Amino acid sequence: MNYSPLPYLDPGSGSIIIQLALAALLGLGVFVRSQWTRIKKMFGIKPKQMDENEENDDVEKQ
Amino acid sequence: MTTLKNNERLSTSFRDPSGFLFARDEKLYRQVNHSYSQDYTFLIESGLYDRLLKANLLIPHTEVGVQPIEPKSAFKVICPEQVRFISYPYEWSFSQLKDAALATIAVQKHALKFEMSLKDASAYNIQFHKGKPILIDTLSFEVYKDGAPWVAYRQFCQHFLAPLALMAKTDVRLSQLMRVYIDGVPLDLASRLLPASTCLNFGLLTHIHLHARAQMRYADAGAVNDRLEKTSRERMTKQALQGLIESLENTVKQLEWKPVGTEWGDYYNMTNYTDSAFEHKKNIISEWVRRLNPRQVWDVGANNGVFTRLASAQGIPAIAFDIDPAAVEQNYRQVKSARETNILPLVQDLTNPSPSLGWHTRERNAFLERAPADMVFALAVIHHLAISNNVPLYLLADFFHDLGKWLVIEFVPKTDSQVQKLLASRLDIFDQYTVDDFERIFGARFAILEKVKVRESERFLYLMEKRD
Repeated sequence: MNYSPLPYLDPGSGSIIIQLALAALLGLGVFVRSQWTRIKKMFGIKPKQMDENEENDDVEKQ
Repeated sequence: MTTLKNNERLSTSFRDPSGFLFARDEKLYRQVNHSYSQDYTFLIESGLYDRLLKANLLIPHTEVGVQPIEPKSAFKVICPEQVRFISYPYEWSFSQLKDAALATIAVQKHALKFEMSLKDASAYNIQFHKGKPILIDTLSFEVYKDGAPWVAYRQFCQHFLAPLALMAKTDVRLSQLMRVYIDGVPLDLASRLLPASTCLNFGLLTHIHLHARAQMRYADAGAVNDRLEKTSRERMTKQALQGLIESLENTVKQLEWKPVGTEWGDYYNMTNYTDSAFEHKKNIISEWVRRLNPRQVWDVGANNGVFTRLASAQGIPAIAFDIDPAAVEQNYRQVKSARETNILPLVQDLTNPSPSLGWHTRERNAFLERAPADMVFALAVIHHLAISNNVPLYLLADFFHDLGKWLVIEFVPKTDSQVQKLLASRLDIFDQYTVDDFERIFGARFAILEKVKVRESERFLYLMEKRD
């Protein structure tokens, strides 16, 4: 339900558009991080353990 | 706990065309509609379902041969593992809402790895089950479409990020906005209520402040079309989508709230109980619980749950209600650190309990609609209701009569120093607040099975059973 005091206006479109506007920036972040991990690997630095099970414990360990 | 009406569609899942919940023989089932068959099959066959079960993030279910309620549209009927008690985000403490948000994010991250995505990110789809937040809506997934933005982004921000930010940065009591706005806190409102300093936080700046601006700016179709024409070739790459999810996750993780400076923060250091009286009280209650072995216990006015644990430690599922978000927060942190599975702390104001809400006021159940409990604890609470809140004893007896079968209640007489404190600032108009009146008035609604004076105190503990 999109509650809006102005019923013909839809907040949903703005939510899509801002994602598209952020897309380049956020995608770049993920790209840079993955490259950084690769470079570190080349120098023999092990990435932080982020295997699937680790990730699941995220919620639990908070 | 609530008696489920046979073959009735639950009024909580009417918005979803993918399926709905219904009750039969005191059990909940979910009908999966034909229109959702592809997504459902993909969820199971891709391995995502098993992965989420392993991670304890999705409620397990079995496919059953039960006759569907609407056979024409039915693809399958599934029986999910039954959740003991349905609670709502306006009843959660800060960390409970935060963990529910992180559980939603964790589900979405797994889903993307399996080429699926969450189409809903409603806080109401998360429940606390065996001590942990878990997704209960099996029909929340859709096959990921390459290039598509996250359709549940707005909902995630309204249901989780906005209330968490408001609780952490403005005032913890703003969690109650979730009670007013059934689809989460409107972002323009959150943006106005948050301090300006939150604009310096990248996550809050983008996901709340700029997000709210974008919603206003592109709320009207003309502006949207102009903008979409310009961005028609822009797509949300999967990498960008992952970036969005990670950004939300980091923003949520950075939000903190510490339970200090509230009413009950160090309540047990301020009581008038001696150690020996405290132990005596614990022993009496433990003994009654052991003897009656109730199916579940509701502790109203539970503070940080020290007495609730007398039941949960015996393996009895217990809910610890308290008005103070700091006490509930402390209790929840204890549940987490000790990995307790059968105690659920919740925020509840007994003088104004959760009402029924939503469409036809049937979407979210009132506090009392989720009763009765087998056994109710009302310890050191009656003087607050009777004296601070002016509720006459006969109305208290009525209320507790609706709440559960057995009642463990502590009467705190006027001579008690805590009651004296309450009376210090108000006129004593409470003629009927005596042990005799209490026994007479409660005795009309309950059979008084036991009465024990707590050692080294002025207080009495009663075990009562309600009369039909």
